[in-house]
Amino acid sequence: MSVWDAYSALYIAVLCVQTVLIIACFIRAVKGPSIADRIVSINMIGTQIIIMICVVALMLGQGYLTDVSLIYAMISFLAVVVLCKVYMGVYLERRAQQEEAQRHA
Amino acid sequence: MLDWIRFIITALFLIGGLSMLVTAVIGVYKFDYVLNRMHAAGMGDTLGLLFCLIGLTVSAPDIWTALKLLLIICLLWVASPVSSHLIARLEVTTNPDWYQLTGAEKDEDQEVEA
Repeated sequence: MSVWDAYSALYIAVLCVQTVLIIACFIRAVKGPSIADRIVSINMIGTQIIIMICVVALMLGQGYLTDVSLIYAMISFLAVVVLCKVYMGVYLERRAQQEEAQRHA
Repeated sequence: MLDWIRFIITALFLIGGLSMLVTAVIGVYKFDYVLNRMHAAGMGDTLGLLFCLIGLTVSAPDIWTALKLLLIICLLWVASPVSSHLIARLEVTTNPDWYQLTGAEKDEDQEVEA
């Protein structure tokens, strides 16, 4: 057994465990009662996909795939920021509308 | 021989990182309130990613790949606390029962008119 076989077995085992974890996070995201719960799960899925892309980059021996991982980290962070801002803005706007309606009533 | 030493270091770091991630997922399922879950998810994610990427850095094929992996660690260590903070603020803002859950004093600015 050469060292490259050992590397390939290790990387495939890591990818299998990550897949199971991603499915578990996805179930949490579907079932989570609140909005914050879902966003937390999506954040975790993003982190695990970053690790998966890095593992695949080393498994295939293609260093440029780590660039994809870097971009993925930025986009997943941006997605979380935008989702939080949008939900908070919608909630505050709706509450302001309700207060306005109560004041007129 | 050197290859095997690198392989063993990589395997140890990857197993450590994966166990951190498994702990984070178990914590996400175990706790019963969003902020507790977010604590488990944020801590476990950060440390798991650090361990996994340090392990991969040890056996990277060339120096630029190793530097890019370290850059990903730096980026995520800046981005992950910020996103956790934003999610916590979202939860505190949008949950009207938050003050009853924590037993804290109700803030004047956050007060909803009855």
